[in-house]
Amino acid sequence: MANGRRRRTDFVQQPQKLPRSDSGPPWQSPDFPWRKAAKHLRYILMNIDVFLPLSGKWLTLGAFDLPVEHPLCQRETNIVRGIVFLLSGIALAMLPGNLHADHSSETLETLSHLAVAPQQILLEGPRARTVLIVDGTTANGQKIDVTRDAQFAVLDTSVANIAPNGVVRGIADGKTEVVVTVAEKTIHVPVTIYASQAPQQFHFENDIVPLLTRYGCNTSGCHGKAEGQNGFKLSVFGFQPDDDYAALTKENRGRRVSTTMPETSLMLTKASGGVPHGGGIRLRKGSGDYRTLRNWIDAGTPFGNDDAATVAKITVSPSERQLTMQAQQQLRVVATYTDGREVDVTAHAQFQSNNDALGKVDEFGLVTAGDSPGDVAVMASYMGAVDVFRSLIPRTETIADYPAVTESNFIDPLIHDKLRKLNIVPAGPADDATYLRRVYLDIIGTLPTPAESRAFLSDSRPNRRALLVDKLLARPEYADYQALKWSDLLRVNRLALGHKGAYAYYRWIRDTFRDNKPMDAFAAELVTAAGPTSEAPAAHFYKVAGDAHKRAATFSQVFLGVRIECAQCHHHPQDRWSQTDYYGMHAFFTQPTFQASNLGELLTASGQEKSVHPRTNQEIFAYPLATPYPKQSPTGDRRELLADWLTDAENPWFARNIVNRAWAHFLGRGLVEPIDDFRLTNPPSNPQLLDALAREFVENGYDYQHLIRTITASAAYQRASTVNETNRRDEQNYSRFLFKRIDAEVLLDAVVQVTGVPEKFAGVAAGYRAIQLWDSQVPHYFLKTFGRPVRATACSCERTAAPTVGQVLHVLNSPEIQEKLSHQGGRIAGMLRSGTDDETFINELSLACFSRPPTEAEQAKLMEHLQGKQGPARQQAAEDIAWSMLNSMEFLFNH
Amino acid sequence: MGRSRFCDGVRRRDMLTIGAAGMFGAGLSMSQMLQLQAAAAEQGKSTDDISLIILFLQGGISTIDTWDMKPNAPAEFRGEFDPIATSVPGIQLCEHLPHLAQQMDKFSLVRSFAHRNSSHGHADHFILTGYHPTPAFNSKLKPNNEKPSHGSVIAKKLGPRGSVPAYVALPKMHNSGGGAFLGSDADPFTVAADPNTPNFAVRDLAPPLTVPAARLGHRRDLLATVDRYQSSAEVAANQSARALSTFQQRAFDLMTSPETKRAFDIDDESKKLRDEYGRHTLGQSCLMARRLVEAGVRCVLVHHSDWDTHNDNFHMLKNRLLPKLDTGMSTLFRDLSDRGMLENTFVLVTGEFGRTPRINKDAGRDHWGPSTALAMGGGGMTNGIVVGDSGPRAERPVTNPYGPKDLAATIYHSLGISPETIFHTPEGRPMPIVPHGGKVIGELFS
Repeated sequence: MANGRRRRTDFVQQPQKLPRSDSGPPWQSPDFPWRKAAKHLRYILMNIDVFLPLSGKWLTLGAFDLPVEHPLCQRETNIVRGIVFLLSGIALAMLPGNLHADHSSETLETLSHLAVAPQQILLEGPRARTVLIVDGTTANGQKIDVTRDAQFAVLDTSVANIAPNGVVRGIADGKTEVVVTVAEKTIHVPVTIYASQAPQQFHFENDIVPLLTRYGCNTSGCHGKAEGQNGFKLSVFGFQPDDDYAALTKENRGRRVSTTMPETSLMLTKASGGVPHGGGIRLRKGSGDYRTLRNWIDAGTPFGNDDAATVAKITVSPSERQLTMQAQQQLRVVATYTDGREVDVTAHAQFQSNNDALGKVDEFGLVTAGDSPGDVAVMASYMGAVDVFRSLIPRTETIADYPAVTESNFIDPLIHDKLRKLNIVPAGPADDATYLRRVYLDIIGTLPTPAESRAFLSDSRPNRRALLVDKLLARPEYADYQALKWSDLLRVNRLALGHKGAYAYYRWIRDTFRDNKPMDAFAAELVTAAGPTSEAPAAHFYKVAGDAHKRAATFSQVFLGVRIECAQCHHHPQDRWSQTDYYGMHAFFTQPTFQASNLGELLTASGQEKSVHPRTNQEIFAYPLATPYPKQSPTGDRRELLADWLTDAENPWFARNIVNRAWAHFLGRGLVEPIDDFRLTNPPSNPQLLDALAREFVENGYDYQHLIRTITASAAYQRASTVNETNRRDEQNYSRFLFKRIDAEVLLDAVVQVTGVPEKFAGVAAGYRAIQLWDSQVPHYFLKTFGRPVRATACSCERTAAPTVGQVLHVLNSPEIQEKLSHQGGRIAGMLRSGTDDETFINELSLACFSRPPTEAEQAKLMEHLQGKQGPARQQAAEDIAWSMLNSMEFLFNH
Repeated sequence: MGRSRFCDGVRRRDMLTIGAAGMFGAGLSMSQMLQLQAAAAEQGKSTDDISLIILFLQGGISTIDTWDMKPNAPAEFRGEFDPIATSVPGIQLCEHLPHLAQQMDKFSLVRSFAHRNSSHGHADHFILTGYHPTPAFNSKLKPNNEKPSHGSVIAKKLGPRGSVPAYVALPKMHNSGGGAFLGSDADPFTVAADPNTPNFAVRDLAPPLTVPAARLGHRRDLLATVDRYQSSAEVAANQSARALSTFQQRAFDLMTSPETKRAFDIDDESKKLRDEYGRHTLGQSCLMARRLVEAGVRCVLVHHSDWDTHNDNFHMLKNRLLPKLDTGMSTLFRDLSDRGMLENTFVLVTGEFGRTPRINKDAGRDHWGPSTALAMGGGGMTNGIVVGDSGPRAERPVTNPYGPKDLAATIYHSLGISPETIFHTPEGRPMPIVPHGGKVIGELFS
């Protein structure tokens, strides 16, 4: 194998010998095809570990039709490498353009400044390596990643080497320098290598588990799944090293590792394809990681020192960077161990983008921006620690003179700052009619009547919009609509609670909004509910939620916007929550217990169930997320402690979660999206705005109506939905008002209001509107088809606004809609009977549906349709006009 | 030779991943090309024109009394029915399926099919998605899918063929027939009407009778006038508005397309053939399924209930259930074959589980996942064979055991969808369409 290592080194060194020249013949110009090919070739070289295992198959399938068992495909011979590189070189040379978004020579020549990270390299221990990232500063002051444009040279190649992608590896102890050159600018990076020949002290958790993760062995699709795979089970994502160690070294009669003949260990032969493996070849025989595993086995599979330092955190650098479209950025991941040691773990970290369309990341931490403006977060994870790289991707075309934009309150500068950075100009303000319809639908879930529309449209007071909001907040429909939405989250469910219980629970929610009870009081009352359910209707929450697990999960999702369920069985793979954290939350919810009493059902905090960590079997005391672990279990009703923590002004989630839910309701998209998935690795699109809204909310006593006034007063909410060249592709920065499919109940009520024909619902008195239905089980085809939730979970995703063919067909064709149009007691027949002239009829109908008078063109065309028709023909023509309005996008959406 | 590592999916996936990561330019197109070739070679043919019909006999058809009879078992297992010979020598079916016995050469039986769940709801989800439900499963949700149903995967992966929907449920939606995280366009188009009723019409598919074609034309003109957002930049830039607008277009296509109209116009069928399918919901649903597939629908899920024969199993089967299945299913196979459609139509007949081999005190049989024989044919499979054996009493597979994930792999394989296809949930979690370890029922393709 030593031989193999040397050859490999030769290859990595090779690109440094490529001809370099400041001026000269055309083939040495950076834009000459061969140079491009060389660059592509360097990509293969720098990822040689992954590339080589493929070469056998590639060759076999592509060129020579050799069986995979052929020695050529099995061995890493120079012949194979040579042929592969030759073929790829030829193929790559024929490629057009600049595949890797490397920068043009003009860009490179105009760089004002060059910097590297890290500025000096210290590599300790055998096989140590680090990623060197080269940053250039462009003429306009922007930093760009020029690592893949740089030429690298190591002064003393017996000490260290560097690959074209900037990976520095130690060879022997000593000092040297890496010389980085980009378009005639040069930086010297001091390199110190020590302890490179020291025998490796293996630590199973620190050295071996990361490899099981890196090569996908312990994912939930393979050996990490609950029942393992083919008799071999690992803990998912490697969160239980003890068990994994036992599985590798003790089970299967020790065949997985053979300390006497390491190369015959199943762990190696399976992973590297020496024997058939359902998961295929994961690891190339002879690669660095293969050797690590083999050496660990050879060393007698040490578990390592129990008190060895473990990973405390990881840091991704850069942490933020503005990228141009299609630009690339290499990330560097450094793990800090509990003893303060810092190690570059980029090669073994895992990366994931939160939005592949905006920016994707490969397994080596190279981020490639897409071609839409916006921002993207890339998560890096290593050994349960996570960190995020955030990137803003502006539109390419800069805006020379950015127009003045209206700013109404503190919300707007925070949004406009970002839009300016993105080179996006927001849409102008919406007109009064649009605002009127929008704010009615959003606050009271009800369309304005033609009379209300006329009144508002003729109002010329400058503060008419704010006055309108005040008026709406005082209407009973406001409480109806808010109660409907919160009844989804808190799961008012007749099947689970019975008719009486569900209704009492609903009334309690509705009263909260009718009385504008502060949201902290609302949450605290629910969390600490106790006593007979007849007197404490909020106690129904505990009944509908289920056992302590579901209560903890529901509580966290509804009030914190945090999903902790993953941590029930293993460390949360995308957040910081451990199983201990999960059971700490669980312990708050084991006490509440229902008992029968002469007052009816009684909720008391008398449960004795202990929260036990499933792996250590230790009792876990109740403590809230991200707080220190307590020395003893809180006494009394532990939920008091939880409620205090929840409603503390410093609680990191509660206020942010409530304002985010409200923001999403009004603006059509949460600052955190999905709205109930706050996560380290799912950062808000505008953190400053989220913080500012939360601060405002807390400072104003968790006043929900004040929050609504603030949001609806912003220029962001009052924007038109107009599309311009700059905001066309932006859906996450509030540069235009997003279309929102109207909720099922609201839409049905709107159809009823327009046609003037009430709907009768089973089991409730006549005159109930759909938004007043407290029971989501009331059978109704329209409501079901348009996405009414069944309230089986606390996920806001249950209520769906996703369009379907069934919805469209129902409004187009259903007898129910037609019946409302032609009903003799309805608006249409009524207006015709009372002798309404054509013009008034069209005007009224347009106001009823769109809250605006018809345009002249519409007026003319619609008049023509009514013209000269009498009796039933006129009725039919009028129905047709109403039908067309009900089926229009303008009616079906809040825009 | 056993050592070949050609057919594993992982390496192809590796290549794709690397290609997609843009590591080496030419590798991308080249490896993709190779991947496609390899996939095609694996399939052995181009199969994107195969459709799927699932007859789902909800409640759980008693397979020991139908597909997997055990005449030599003790009386408390054997039951009251006798086997009869079929068109395939050596294969026997129940005496109450005489017509179907004549079509035995057009389908096969998998007698070693089994799974570990004997609850309604859970088992339905298992069979219709390939995935066992998680502990959080709530079977009462409509739909209750934690994972996409087979029809949804097919619809999402292959898309509609012409103006007809890709995936249709009839005569009603099955709770586990939904698209889960694949979204609303992977849900089935639900007919929501019984094709056996005299005035059968698909809900909302046609305008009310008071709106004849001319009036509908006026209405569309008016809609074009008042809908200022239709085909506007605003609609184009808003995802859900764009989808709704597309659906509206699709709805008009559906309403006006002659294929759809014809497909759903069951009266267009000869009275004789309709009688042969049987004048009952199951029979006419089978006929409708054939019509829909003919019109281009990729997956039809026929949902028929009442097979939960805890009491009076034999009377129920003999007098009420099997005669319907006999006419509907036998005519479906014969009709598909007559029209040359069988090769391109995969027909699966299953319940959510089998029933207990031992007869209970109420002369019924209870739920029994551990032995759930399947009947399936067409779709390029070998017909007229029996796969596996469920032992002397039809208790559990004794050879070639297969389960729901293998069924999933078999369906996708037949339809030309790589069983290694992976979708991602909105949270980014990779979700293979076939659960890990699912393998094609190879006997049906040899």
